[in-house]
Amino acid sequence: MSIYKHHYRVYTGRVTPIWTRIFALARYGLAEAWSTKITTVLFVICLIPPVGSLFTIYLSNNPAARLLMGNVGTRVLAIDGSFFLRVLTIQSWLAMALASWIAPRLITLDLVDNALPILLSHSISRFGYVLGKYAALFATLSTVTWVPCLLLFAYQGYASPVPWAASNLRIGVGMLAGALIWIALISLLGLALSSWVKWRAVATGIIFAVILVPAGVGAIVTGVLHTKWGFLLNVPVMMSFLWERLLGVHSRIDNALQLPTRAIVTMLALACCLSMVMLNTRIRAREVVRG
Amino acid sequence: MNDLIVFENVSKFYGEVLGVNRVSLTIPPGITTLVGPNGSGKTTLMNLLTGLVQPSSGSISVMGLSSRDANKFFATVGYCTQFDFFPRDITGWQFLVDSLMLYGMSKLTAIQLAEESLQRVQLDKTAAWRKIDGYSKGMRQKIRLAQAIAHRPRVLVLDEPLNGLDPMARAEAMALFEALGRQGIHLIISSHVLDEVDRIADRVVLITGGYLIAEGNIHQVRQEVREKPMQVLVRCDRPEALASKMFAMNHCVEARLHPDGKGIFLRTGDVDQFYSILNEIATEGIVKIEAVAPADDDANAIYQYLIGSEGGTL
Repeated sequence: MSIYKHHYRVYTGRVTPIWTRIFALARYGLAEAWSTKITTVLFVICLIPPVGSLFTIYLSNNPAARLLMGNVGTRVLAIDGSFFLRVLTIQSWLAMALASWIAPRLITLDLVDNALPILLSHSISRFGYVLGKYAALFATLSTVTWVPCLLLFAYQGYASPVPWAASNLRIGVGMLAGALIWIALISLLGLALSSWVKWRAVATGIIFAVILVPAGVGAIVTGVLHTKWGFLLNVPVMMSFLWERLLGVHSRIDNALQLPTRAIVTMLALACCLSMVMLNTRIRAREVVRG
Repeated sequence: MNDLIVFENVSKFYGEVLGVNRVSLTIPPGITTLVGPNGSGKTTLMNLLTGLVQPSSGSISVMGLSSRDANKFFATVGYCTQFDFFPRDITGWQFLVDSLMLYGMSKLTAIQLAEESLQRVQLDKTAAWRKIDGYSKGMRQKIRLAQAIAHRPRVLVLDEPLNGLDPMARAEAMALFEALGRQGIHLIISSHVLDEVDRIADRVVLITGGYLIAEGNIHQVRQEVREKPMQVLVRCDRPEALASKMFAMNHCVEARLHPDGKGIFLRTGDVDQFYSILNEIATEGIVKIEAVAPADDDANAIYQYLIGSEGGTL
């Protein structure tokens, strides 16, 4: 008869709070997102407009430099709400392109590789998993949206010969809020759509399609029925309305066609809820192969 | 906290598809082999055991813990899936340390446990510092195994852990499983390499079509199916003579000559009488018997007995 000594020691030491474990997943996510050169190229492209804007702010606040450039008019170089709205809009749509490339890398690969059973067999919930991926996407998109926008705002405040930042604080806060709402929406939408598509390239296309196709339908509805409610399907127009209001910029679109803020917020909240339902359905530890 | 894994009347349905049905099972410490053909519900049983899916009905307790108490439960269970998943562009070492941090270890503790785990699976540190993308299949299997045992779980669930390992690595893995089993850990292994796993398993769980068909010590299970013909290999100098003698006694249902001609596989429906007659033949000196051994006293053969041809291939 064999007698075995049971000397296996289980781990009984201290463990970190559950919420801190999300950072490990976020790190995985960032590693996956940046493991391709295309991400780097897209990121660099996203930073070109802020560099141009920085130059514009410099010119606007430096008469000598303006003179050297052929005495460009001050109206062309006006640094106001409209200027920062343009910067925010450009950065937001570039962020959209970046999100449509990165989001499928974060989710689709895990689903295709059947990674969820191994990841979710750790002390981390499905919500924690999505939050980790979301954090990775959110962090990346932040670096091309509100971070450069606020840096430009800070530079304008510093370079302006007259006190500027305090009297235009609404622009800064509006850019931050507008960018955060946009990032929250496209991150959730990107992750949700990626979780339903097996191929990354297709997922990238679908993310764009989900934003642009309903926008086209909404424009047709608005044009044919002469109603502003068609814009409720048009995410670009809805976001433009929202950003204008957040930054306090007068809209070029007729007041009669303006959507109420409450309707816009409700539509965006609905899109976020739908994305969460989609993620909840797909992000499961169930293995595809049974055996 | 007790030391049993208990399934109480557990059923799991994926919509209208049956995963497992009314499974009641108690698994004590040691090595347990989970045997069943593809689609039998093995992976569902493992997913239920590791808390990855919740039962549609019934309850599961792992060492007295429920998967709802996630922090304690997942710290108790280690899982090595059959899927070859690793995050892209990451080294084996990073994979281990990150995995341990997901279990809630501090960075310092994670490094210590990762080193210990690498030693256990006999993967050297130089290899661990390389990117997993460049690993051989055997190394990938080792690092997955290291990840499953690194946080020192009390229950280790291994889905096809021998897949892709060369004979040497396979022998090393078997030795590791055996050592872990002896140390009092619960080791639940599903494998298609049954002849190897059987050698170290304390018990077997047989499942097909989502139903549990037998469980217990392999030899005990074999005893329970005594009415099924059992195959015995008799090493002797005159196998043909032995076969004719055995058939004359009317206990044998099948005889097959060993390829080397120095033995015969005899299938009998009454093993007790078979051995009694064999003793008589040996005493008479008609045939010189060198060795007698059961030829199908393993999980695979028992499985085939129990489910016949309906269970598919193992």
